[in-house]
Amino acid sequence: MTSPTSVIEINQLVRRYGRTDAVNGLDLQVEPGRCYGFFGRNGAGKTTTIKCLLNLLRPTGGEVSVFGMNPARNEVAVKSRLAYVPDYVAFYPWMTVRDTLDYFASFRARWNRDTERALIDQFRLAPAQKTSHLSKGQRTQVALVAAVCAEPDLLVLDEPTSGLDPIVRREFIQTVIGAYQDADPGQRTVFVSTHLISEFEGLIDEFTIIENGRNVLTLSADVARERYRKIHARFAVEPDRLEFGGARVLRQRGREIELVVNGNTDDVMNRLRAGSLESVTTESLSLEEIFVATLQPGGAVA
Amino acid sequence: MRFQLNFKSGKPVYLQLVDQVKSAAASGAVQPGDPLPSIRPLAEELRVNRNTVAKAYAELENQRVIETIAGKGCFVRASSSPFRKDVRLKLVAETMDDAVVQAHHLQVGKAEFVRLAEERFDAFEDKRARAVHE
Repeated sequence: MTSPTSVIEINQLVRRYGRTDAVNGLDLQVEPGRCYGFFGRNGAGKTTTIKCLLNLLRPTGGEVSVFGMNPARNEVAVKSRLAYVPDYVAFYPWMTVRDTLDYFASFRARWNRDTERALIDQFRLAPAQKTSHLSKGQRTQVALVAAVCAEPDLLVLDEPTSGLDPIVRREFIQTVIGAYQDADPGQRTVFVSTHLISEFEGLIDEFTIIENGRNVLTLSADVARERYRKIHARFAVEPDRLEFGGARVLRQRGREIELVVNGNTDDVMNRLRAGSLESVTTESLSLEEIFVATLQPGGAVA
Repeated sequence: MRFQLNFKSGKPVYLQLVDQVKSAAASGAVQPGDPLPSIRPLAEELRVNRNTVAKAYAELENQRVIETIAGKGCFVRASSSPFRKDVRLKLVAETMDDAVVQAHHLQVGKAEFVRLAEERFDAFEDKRARAVHE
């Protein structure tokens, strides 16, 4: 079922390459105005899914809709309302930055010159420079400027920060998404795929973790941080045997134990207290730690 | 005012913002009529989604801690709770229940808890008195 409000709706998507299932029964739904994270390891099926959204690939099975439309049947209607920045950006090498942005603008119904000027300044891009002389980071910056200035209803970013140096990537993602959502935030949706999750910690409202072409976890970021916690406990005497159903023991050394729980903190705390507990602290896992805990061999923390 | 976010606390980020504004307003660190930072710069400074800041401001407006003046931004309101006394007591009781649960987990007993509550209350009033004198 396609609800009229969803920007992206994916039902049981399957995409095969020969005998390999790149995507195998994926479900996902993105509401307007969200900053939605699509997390997975290399080869998990992220880029294949995005290509199905953009009609760069035809699904083998299942349904994909963008703005309530089928991207294969309404290609122009869908693409005119979104902007896509792939992980590898290529421009015409003989064009300058200025030419390139004008070229992009010529395909668009709208182009925000103020945003363009502000971002060019902020990134210290030289408009007269040939794109063939840009670094990888600068090329990505130009692509992001082009995507944001068109003021689309949906911004699709595929690994936007991979291959960039850490200082640049932290601040420019924040700047770009801030500029994009500055006007009409309720309608400006971001869909970002990445495996560099820590950079997006505060930006993500909701996320899906994909593995082997299937969604393994979909949660809002706040709920995720509330549910997944790390408990560090120290006992007065070394406990002989500890049983923790539903929690994963990260390490146990002598009197100290560290475990990860998922939603059953109280339960585990009560069991810890049955021993000679000396001190205990809990903290939330970061989204990146949740990602690791979910995909670690041995399965998700139940 | 300065905000401090902690992604490890398990408390939703927007609620951390709500509570920090409320405690600044209660302690007198921000006064009625003081403006709050606008959404985008604050989101960029704190490295969070603007939705998070917008949600916090909406909640603060809902709780009548701040008001939005069209075209001007958000401002701290004079504190006057619209709720009846029993409702106000219930709201405080709910917050205290959380603290009691936390105390239980950390093996802090009732006597210690009550002593701590008094101490925190005194500290709060001290801070408030200082802020008013400044």
